[in-house]
This record gives sequence, C-alpha cells and structure tokens, in this order.
Amino acid sequence: MNQFEYIRTTDSKAAIKAMTKTGEAQFLAGGTNLVDLMKMRIVVPDRLIDINPLPLRDIEKTLTGLRIGALASNSEVAEHPLVKKNYPLLSLAINAGASAQLRNMATTGGNMMQRTRCPYFFDVTLPCNKRSPGSGCSALEGYNRMHAIFGASTACIAVNPSDMSVGMATLDAVVHVSGPKGDRSMKFTDFHRLPGNEPQKDNNLLPGELIIAVDLPASRYPQNVAYVKVRDRNSYAFALISVAAALDIRDGIIHTASLGMGGVAHKPWRLTAAEAFLAGKKPVDENFRKAAAISMEGAKAYVLNKFKLTMAPNAIRAALQQAAAKA
Amino acid sequence: MKKVVIGESVSRVDGRLKVTGGAHYSGEYPLPNLAYGVLVPASVTSGTIVDIDSKAAAGSPGVRAVITHFNAPRVPGYQAGAAKPVRGLKLFADNKIYFNGQPIALVVADTFEQATFAAGLIKAKYNRESFATDFRSNLEKGVTPQGGRYKDYARGDASLLDNAPVKIKQEYSLPSEMHNPMELHVTTAWWDGDDRVTLYTKSQGVISSQRSIAAAFDIPEKNVQINSRFVGGAFGSSLRTWPHEVAAVQAAKMLKRPVKLTLTREQMFTLVGYRPLTIQKIGLGANTDGSLIAITHESVSQSAVYEEFTENSVNISRFLYASPNVMTRYKIVPLNVGVPTPMRGPGEATGAFALECALDELSYVLKMDPIALRLKNYTESDPERNLPWSSKHLKECYEVGMEKIGWSNRPAVPRSLKDGEWLVGYGVGCGAFGAYRGKANAKIKLLPDGTVIIQSATSDIGPGTGTAMTVIAADILGLPTDKITFELGDSSLPVAPTQGGSATVSSVGSAVHDVCTAFKKKIYGLTGKPEDSTEAIAWSELLPKLNLPYLELSQESQGNDTAKNYSMYSFSAHFAKVYVHPLTGMMQVKQIFATVDAGKIVSHKTAASQMIGGAVGGLGMAMTEEAVIDDRYGRLVNGNFADYHVPVNADVQQIDAYFTDKPDPIINPVGTKGIGEISLIGVAPALANAIYNATGVRIRDLPITPDKILEGEEKLG
Amino acid sequence: MARKKIPVAPDGDTTSASRRDFIKQSSLLTAIALAPGSVIKAAEERWDEKFAGIFEKLPLHLEVNGVKHTLSVEPRVTLLDLLREELQLTGTKKGCDRGQCGACTVHVDGKRVNSCLSLAITNEGKKITTIEGLADGDKLHPMQEAFIKHDGFQCGYCTSGQIMSGVACIKEGHAGSPEEIREFMSGNICRCGAYTNIVKAISEVKQGGMS
Repeated sequence: MNQFEYIRTTDSKAAIKAMTKTGEAQFLAGGTNLVDLMKMRIVVPDRLIDINPLPLRDIEKTLTGLRIGALASNSEVAEHPLVKKNYPLLSLAINAGASAQLRNMATTGGNMMQRTRCPYFFDVTLPCNKRSPGSGCSALEGYNRMHAIFGASTACIAVNPSDMSVGMATLDAVVHVSGPKGDRSMKFTDFHRLPGNEPQKDNNLLPGELIIAVDLPASRYPQNVAYVKVRDRNSYAFALISVAAALDIRDGIIHTASLGMGGVAHKPWRLTAAEAFLAGKKPVDENFRKAAAISMEGAKAYVLNKFKLTMAPNAIRAALQQAAAKA
Repeated sequence: MKKVVIGESVSRVDGRLKVTGGAHYSGEYPLPNLAYGVLVPASVTSGTIVDIDSKAAAGSPGVRAVITHFNAPRVPGYQAGAAKPVRGLKLFADNKIYFNGQPIALVVADTFEQATFAAGLIKAKYNRESFATDFRSNLEKGVTPQGGRYKDYARGDASLLDNAPVKIKQEYSLPSEMHNPMELHVTTAWWDGDDRVTLYTKSQGVISSQRSIAAAFDIPEKNVQINSRFVGGAFGSSLRTWPHEVAAVQAAKMLKRPVKLTLTREQMFTLVGYRPLTIQKIGLGANTDGSLIAITHESVSQSAVYEEFTENSVNISRFLYASPNVMTRYKIVPLNVGVPTPMRGPGEATGAFALECALDELSYVLKMDPIALRLKNYTESDPERNLPWSSKHLKECYEVGMEKIGWSNRPAVPRSLKDGEWLVGYGVGCGAFGAYRGKANAKIKLLPDGTVIIQSATSDIGPGTGTAMTVIAADILGLPTDKITFELGDSSLPVAPTQGGSATVSSVGSAVHDVCTAFKKKIYGLTGKPEDSTEAIAWSELLPKLNLPYLELSQESQGNDTAKNYSMYSFSAHFAKVYVHPLTGMMQVKQIFATVDAGKIVSHKTAASQMIGGAVGGLGMAMTEEAVIDDRYGRLVNGNFADYHVPVNADVQQIDAYFTDKPDPIINPVGTKGIGEISLIGVAPALANAIYNATGVRIRDLPITPDKILEGEEKLG
Repeated sequence: MARKKIPVAPDGDTTSASRRDFIKQSSLLTAIALAPGSVIKAAEERWDEKFAGIFEKLPLHLEVNGVKHTLSVEPRVTLLDLLREELQLTGTKKGCDRGQCGACTVHVDGKRVNSCLSLAITNEGKKITTIEGLADGDKLHPMQEAFIKHDGFQCGYCTSGQIMSGVACIKEGHAGSPEEIREFMSGNICRCGAYTNIVKAISEVKQGGMS
C-alpha cells in the first residue's frame, strides 16, 4: 500500500472540504472495499479522509418511513427491529451478502460505493476501462461468467456486486448526499449508473459529494418478500443472479409488486415491466412465469454467461413463489 | 488420568495451544532485526526479461535489497554440474520466464508495508514469446511421461469392450484445483556465519527440507536446521522445497540478517502447486448381469514446460474391480503454467472421479443398483499384481454406508424424488489408496519425574500426528497421555519421512511402537524381569531407583519382506445425499457418510475429523473449486478466496465417518493403513452421482455449479 | 527489531523518532490532542518518498486484551499486521489479507471484524480482543473448551478466527440453530474441513449459556 495523508474528522463539511483539495482523496468508512482496493493498487489515494467519527450512524423513524445514516453498518441495519419488522426484504438482502464480520464493518454508504468484482478490474496488469479508461475491456471476450446481461456497453460489461443495493432499489429508497455545492437527494435507482462510455463512473455522485443517509418510504412490503441469491456456494460468494421480490397481496390479488435483480447489470436492476404486469394479478406460478419472461426482454449474454438468460427468469420465479408463500 | 489404549478418542495433545493462539507457525517467531521479503511476479507468460527497473523500489523508504537475476548471489545447487542439482524452477538464476506470475524480483525491507509498496514499483521489460496455457487446444502435445513408471498398461484385450453387450464411453474432466491451506506459505531464514542456516518454514518434511536447502547452498545437512512445528494445513503443497524458500535463504545470506518471506494468497495460486487440470476417457464394457468385460482409462493432465509432474490417475482402474481386460494410458501436456504438485488424494482422487462416475452411468444402463454392480465386480485379490490383499473390508463399508445414508430411499429412476420443491438424490463413490510404510526413527527419553519425551522428525499438517503418536506410546508404555510429550517438526530429531501419502501413522507410528516396546524390554532387563513381562512399570520410581539422570533409546523401524507378498490398500465408500433446487440450480449436500477400511484406527476422534475434512475437500472438488486462466494472457483470473470458492460452513451439513477398524495383519505392528488421502478420494463421484440421481443431469465436467445444472435441465427439456 | 515500537506520550512526545519526524509529528499530535472534532490534517507540503516521515507515523491509542497501548503507526498498517508484527500477538492469523477468509477475526468494541481490512489508525480509542485475551487466566473460555472437546480444528490456523467469530455469533443471537450457525459462521473458512465440529462446539456453548 502507498503512503497517504490521513485525516480524521467529526464534521461532514470539513470532510467534504478535505475531499476537494488537490490530489486524489477518498472517504474511508468501513474500509472493507477501499482497503482491499488499495492493497491491490487499484485505488492509490493521496489522502484518506476517515469519516467514521461523523454523526451519521443513526437509524431513525421519519414521518413516513425510516432514515438510515450513511455510516450505519450493514449488520446494524439488517438487525434493526424496525428494518426487520417493516422492511424485511432489506434484512434478507443485506444478510445474503459478504460475511458477518464484513457486515459489521461495512457501512450503508460504503456498500453503495462498492466497486465491481470483475477480475480484470482487479488485475492492474490487464486492460480495463473502468480502472484505466481507454485501455479496453478484457471481459468482453474474456472470463465473463459473472458479467452483465442488461444495460452493458462495449466499454464495460461489469456488474455491481451489492446485495444491499438491490434491496434498497427494490424498496424505492432515496439517497441524500451533501457536497461542495450543497445538499441534494436522488432516487436510489438513480444513484448507480450504467457504464456507457464512462465505466470509470459507478454512480452519479458529483466530485466531493458525501452520502449522508438513505431514506426508506412508508413500508409497503412487511410480509410477502424474498431474496433469492444464486451463487457458486451456499454463502460468502457474490451473486450469479440475485432477485429481490416484494408483493403486497390483498384478498388474494397482488396489489403492487416490487422486483429488483442483482448480478445482471452495472446497477441494481429494477424489473418495472414485470411489476406492472403483476399488479392486479393473482399470485400464481403462471403469472410469475410470465413476469419472469417479461423481465428478460432486452437481455444480452456473452460467451460464458449465457446461462444467466435461464437462471435469471428462474430465480425471479423462485423469488416470487417464495414471497407469495410467506404467510 | 486414565489409561489410554490404541483406538480411543482423545482430544488433541496440542489443542490448548491451538485454541489460545499459543501455537506458533513458521511466520510467527520474533527475531531481532527481522526483514520482510515480498516477491514480484512476472506479468508475461513466456519469454525473457530484458531489463528490470528497480531504482524506485530500491530508493523507497526502508528497502534493503531488490534481488533479481542481475544481482542475485549464486546458489550453488542452481549451477550446471552441481553435485546435488536443485529440481524445478530456479529463481533469479536467469532471465527466462516460463509462466505468468513467476517471480522476477524479491524486495526486502524493514517492514512488511515498505516491502509490499516497493514491490509495486518494480518495472520490467520483457521479450515476449509465444506461449501455451490452453489445455484443451494443446491436447495433441500430450506426451507419455519419462521413465517407465507411466507407460501404457494392458491386461487381456481391452478391445473386447467394443463387443460388450453393454457399454459406457464417456469423458470426464476436472479443472486445476489449489491446495489453499489457510496458512500462507512462509519461510523465515537466517545465517549463522557462512555455512550454517536456520529456517522456520512451512514444511511437510523437515528432513527433506533440510536436504534440499543443504543441496542448494552446498553446505552439510547438519548445518541446516529446519523448524516446522506447527503447519497451518498443506494438503500436499508443502511436500517439497519451493523456489521461494531458497530465495528467502538467499536474501538472508545477502543481507546478513533474518528475512521472512510470506507468499500472498494470490501468489499461492501460482507458486506452490495444485491438482492439475485433467481430462479422462473411460470405457466400460459389461455383460447384462453387470460383470465387467473390459475397462479402458485414458488420462491427460496439465504439467509445466520447465518441470514434469505426474500422478497415478489411471491406476485405480487396474485393480479396484475384477475385469479380465484393462487398458490404461497416461499422458501429460507441458504448458506455460506453474508446476502441479500432489494434492490430497492426488491422482487416485482424479481417477476415482472418472471411474466411479462411469460405473454409476453403467448402473443406470443396466438398471442395476450401483452397489449391486460393485458387488458383482468385487475382487478378493489384486487383479493387477495377482497378489492377495493384506486386508480388505469394503463390503462392510457398503453395508454400513447404505444403512446410514438411507440407501433404500434412493430412487432407481433419476429425478423422481422430491422434498418440497427440492429434488433429492443419493450417490456412492468408492476409492482405494496404497497403504505404505517407510523407514522411520524415533527416540524415547525417560525423565526422573516419570514423564517421557518421544521424538521424531515428522510433521503435523493438521491430522494430529502428535496425538496419534501419544496414544500409541500411552498404550504400550501404560502411561497416561499427559505424561508423554511427542516432539516433531524439527530436523535435528531422529530422521523420519515427509508427511505424505497417508503413511505417517504407518511409518512413524511403527517407529514409536517399536521404540516404546524395546524401551519396555530394556527396562524389564534393567530391573531384572523377563523381557516379555507384562507387569506395569512404576515410571516415576524407576530412575531414582536405578540412580540414573535419564534413560533413552533410539530405534529405526521399517517393514519386513512379508509385505511384498501382499497388495496393501485402504478402501472407502462414500455415500452422499444431495438436494438440488430445480429452478435455481443451487445445491445442498444434506449428508455425506464416509465408510472406510483403513485398518486399525489409532485415535478415533482425530481420525473421524480427518475423514470429515477430506469429505469437505472432496465437496470442493466436486462442486466449487476451479482455477481459471485467461488463455489470451496466460494469467489466472480468479486467484483469490473470493473468486476461487472453497467450501464454507454453509455448504456442509452432516458428515460422519465409519471405520471398519480391523487391524491389517501385514503392514505394521499396529495394523493401520492410512486415511489422509482415502478421506477425499471417493467423495467427488459420490456427489456427482447423487446430483445425477436427483436431477437426471449428468455433469462430467467439475465443478458442478448451478449454471451447469440449469444447462443440463434445459437439455432434458 | 526492524520495526521498533515508538512509544508516544499523551502530549505527543516521541522517544525514538528522528528529529525531523519528531517536529512534524508533534505538531500533528497537538492537532489531534487539542482540537478534537476538527479536521486533523497532515502537512500541506508534498514530501518526496524519502522524506515521507511525516506521513509515516501517527499516534494511536488502543486497548488490546485489557492492556492499554500508546503506539505510533503508519496509517497504512492494518490492525492485523499491527497485532502480529508489532505487538507479537500472532494468535490472530493472516490467511488472505483481503477479507475473504476470516482467519484474522478479532473483536473491536465487542464486535467481530476482519482485522486485515481495518487500518489500525482508524481504531483510535477502541478495545480490541484477540484470541490471546479470551481465556480468563488459565481458565479457558467455554468456546475454547468446546473446540477442544468437539475437535473443531485440525491444523489450527483458522481456529483463532473461528473461535472469535463463534463467540460473537452467539452474542449476536445468530446461534439459534445449526443452520443459522452455519450461515453466520460462513465468513470463516476452514480448509481442513472442521465445519461440522465447529457447529457442534458453538451449539453446545450456546445451549450451556455462554458467559
């Protein structure tokens, strides 16, 4: 690891200010991704701004929903009584990711900033447009088993690895950020971006912006939820495909559905067409199968991830079945 | 403390040290003025180094040396015409690159952080040459290994297979798999003068390490002290002395201070061997009653361009079942990759995967129970060598395993049993591994307080060598285990073989048995009793009575010629019950029941753990592990624990072991045959066969991952 | 020792740093000591590599297994390397150095974390418990006893991490069933494959009511 200037602060504005000075700076929260990236020489910051002392750890009720501080750890969120009661999908999604130790360290904001697991991104000797813009995409014709089937570009076919983010996106969360030019908010689904021609940009944060909190709206899915994660071992592995499913079933009819998918795109992938299809339908397998099929429109696979074209709709179906079965 | 006899369940003698953090592994000895070494890997796959720019690294804070082939001190054993030439890769000896990740430099600095940072500053210019890492597209380069040991084998006329009423001809493959012990490979070395060196190094054989280092540096063996008291797993990866160990010794010599060189987890994927990618073709011809007419088994494995690696992947087909006609063939393909090294179960695990899956396939064609098929071809003597088995209780393994796994629930028709939404299947896989006994020495020393120390330069990479030896000694001496200390992992102790090939208890255990037995006779002699007395010895009164400060005895022990008249193997049958989710392809191994005939079991608790652990290793082989090289670059793309999946706790539900526990009458005085390898050998086919039974999807290319299940299901329609 | 522990007094004095380091460090330390809550910033100067001393060491106060330490560390040093190489607490193991195996698991303020991904400097003022601090003198922690009894290890290298993780697993309330234990212990890889025995050990300690 390189030497860097280490700054610790208890004040958000000071942290943001420190971020805008010359040289590459990084906010350090849980460190579970950033420290690894620094060890692998993928991120070589001149300055680390340790934001752990910032007062952004609280999880508190808002008028309609719940506010999760950006520094609330993944395990604090997953285990929080209000999350478990009102947003069980988020608990399931978070606990499907990483390990108990990592979830104790990783923060809500840090998880959102998590970089891709594409092997070429991690190998500084090989071309990767995300790590080294313009160098090329090694995954396009390489080992792309884990890669995207939606929204990719010729510049990058990497996927976002976060489970938490799939849960947040599915639950219509809103992100609050603060930056040199003030505070602003955006939908969680607008936080991450597709690679396009600038795969080096994972998200829509502006320079110097700091994630402050994530708001969850009023709970709509306290009951019929499921998070299905298909992976190469039964725990502690990144998703081949993951599906977050939430159903609001009233009198045997799906009132609303919310669906998100992980392991398929550069961002958490909302399945809005399937959601629209399911609204007003019966929660039966025939409809789940159709919803799954609708979700796959526009999917494009590469040499080694063709299986995702089958696995994804199957996982959607499995998640919907599980969600509907929860009594 | 009560008296312990051979076969009892005792807790590990080093358990307390291991649960308190008190066990010190090779990288954990604080030495004054210790420097830290970090290797710099090549980023090309073949060619020569033209230049190495090490200026920035050398000038980086704390850096004491950057060793490359431009400045490396001469290693005598690397030179042409050396008395004892070093085998394999010679680091920093010349400018040649044979594989991607081959170290081109060693940076040594005052701290680990300084060395690691500076290693990243090294820039090399290469003259790139064409290379080959793609096994499948280079199969035609397969050659028969040198030496007579691996020539084609034929018994009878295997071409009769083509006329057999029932035939199976299939191809099975497995990828390269890494040992990945949890402890990183590490060597700490320092010199005392010009011809005396001490190493703390991760080693399965301290005597073998001593010989290798002595040969490399052309110094007397007695001047090389190897310490490896605790080894954090190895599974074969520490069977030999690796180039980085020599490099650490070299750096320590150059800097005249202790150097600790630790491989990174990523480097362990290229520098310390692996189970090689192998493709096998199996042909089985049978009569309609299931009796085998012919077996053909052809295997092609990956090896390295700079060193040949071979293993016994086809041998099992020659003797596990009675077949009058057998043909085996073994080839290797040299590629621009690091050299493989035996990994738990070595070739036998590879071979058993193919043979036992093929047999399973045959059982479905025959509509015959897989166990019935195996019983039909059961052999009471070794058909390869025409010798009687020294012992074989495999039928008992079948019976117990069938009962314990609930074999009667196994559906004869695949994909016909469900539990909720999960498909359920059962499978079996059998194995055999040679029971060996090497020459070993042990020394016993009685102290005035009635405690004894027993020493032998063996190792414990995890199975519990010290525990097993203590049990043997306790039984013979009639001493409580807490009065016995067994010392190992030190090259100054009596010479013993490397821990490998499942032979430690057989070899070293025999030496301990023999030295304890002889010691007792000696004491009976000294106390005026007949040599064959069975009288209990009053250990704590003995030395004061004899007026001696201590009493010791050394003994060499080895097998006798009778063993040559027998074929000696451990045998196993692994049973598995697996659930498969038909939509997602996710799998749950509900149960593995391991049954084994490994002769007499010395220490039941640790032996059972070893069997369970081998099953977990086999689970990884079957379902999770695969090292992937991007052949465009010749570089590994998943060389880390996040992307190379070894089984985690959630992958393992219930695993139990059953031992026939009948002493082998031939191999050694205790009658033990060894379990280290057999614990893994039949596991992968048992799981693959169970997955087929559950899903109707036959996957012949390991690992069996969810995507392959779904692809197979699509083909089923 | 190549890497001396540089004791730092509360006022930021250092005993063995070079004079240049001393001057730079003491101004920094003052900032930390006198201006809590403010941005602690290092020098504005951009030093070349050889003179990077200013960035090399910062003060750190830790309590490890009940013992208070005042240390001086490079910000790039991980908690794991600090424990193993500096404090000689080698019971905590390095298996991957990337948060992918769990061998380095320790408790920070009572929570299990991967010490390989935690920069030591970020643990200012925290209480660290390692495997060496688990037993009560000669009396083993129930989890240590249970690991011996159920043979929850073979080579012993992952064991410290497993035990620290197991203790936390119960404390977190994630040891309700073997299935739950398996899931919440999956961040600790055991290559010897002692998982079933590890689960037995944790279950027993859970049922026995771990103190």
